[in-house]
Amino acid sequence: MTPTALEVALLAFVLVSAVGAALIEDVLGAILAFATYSLGISILWVILQAPDVGLTEAAVGAGVMTILFLLAIAKTAREPTSRLFEPVGWRSVALVGAFVGVLALALPALPAIGDPNAPVVSYRVTEHYLANGYEATGVKNAVTAVLAAYRGLDTLGEAIVVFTAAVAGLVVLGREVLT
Amino acid sequence: MSDAPEGPDVGPPPEEAPYVESPIIMTTVRLIAPFVFTYGLFVMFHGADTPGGGFQGGVLVGSVIVMIGFAFGVQPTREWVKNDVLVGIAVAGALTFAGVGVGSLLLGESFLEYDAYAGLIPHASKYLIELVELGIGAIVAAVVVGLYFALAAGFEGTIPGQGAENGSEAASSDGEAAAAGGEA
Repeated sequence: MTPTALEVALLAFVLVSAVGAALIEDVLGAILAFATYSLGISILWVILQAPDVGLTEAAVGAGVMTILFLLAIAKTAREPTSRLFEPVGWRSVALVGAFVGVLALALPALPAIGDPNAPVVSYRVTEHYLANGYEATGVKNAVTAVLAAYRGLDTLGEAIVVFTAAVAGLVVLGREVLT
Repeated sequence: MSDAPEGPDVGPPPEEAPYVESPIIMTTVRLIAPFVFTYGLFVMFHGADTPGGGFQGGVLVGSVIVMIGFAFGVQPTREWVKNDVLVGIAVAGALTFAGVGVGSLLLGESFLEYDAYAGLIPHASKYLIELVELGIGAIVAAVVVGLYFALAAGFEGTIPGQGAENGSEAASSDGEAAAAGGEA
């Protein structure tokens, strides 16, 4: 499969903003680079036919996380910087490079994007969800059918995790919010 | 850092800097907030048939309050959206989700078995899934806003003698902090 021009441009955009987030010395600049990275990834998710994930990435990754990071640096020291980029730590580069290399080894084993014979498509659980999901749950979005009906207990746990994490965070911050 | 107002560029103001009104941001937020709120509710309600759901919709709805906080100042927004309201919304969301599960148990089916309600509600599964999404959305929206408020307020109000910004609240939570310290 040959990637389209849009995909190549997006991948380059994501790569550049990811490197920018890692290397830009100014914290504000790094946060903004991280937000553009999230935005690029969210568009990639849509291209890869995963709009639910894309929506989450755009709302949480690019939106809320950026706001929380910005608040965090507004509340802490922001060192004045003269350089645009931090000096590259070659040991970190070697480590990250090795990690990427290991991941790249697994790449050829992945099925092509949109391959109808990919295991995830032809697996009988997927087929069951797609064939019976609407009848069993009455919702047209198969992702929601799995999330809220087939795996409803998992999702309840997930929601409670969010709730508990927030409660724990607010307790640690010592706000009066809990009284 | 808060006593060093000189910075190299237009970063966020230091901690003690007063909130600065910006007509551009205020007008923009005033214009787009209702649309973002509506879109968030749409994503939440319509997640059953289109991409989206409680998690995404909840973040969108929560971001409306975050936006308003950015434009009109965090402190007035906190006074407008009370902490009790936020906690209430999150708890109501969690209870809604868990309640749907327990309800099907009471009706003699397994936990979270939407079909148990089939005799009571038409299209029980679809509407209960949307109710559950709404519950998730309530949790997520309240958590996003709560984290935003908590981070924006920082540790002020919990350190004795330094919580001058929000007087009475600071005093009360100082008392609690002291009480908690006493217990520990």
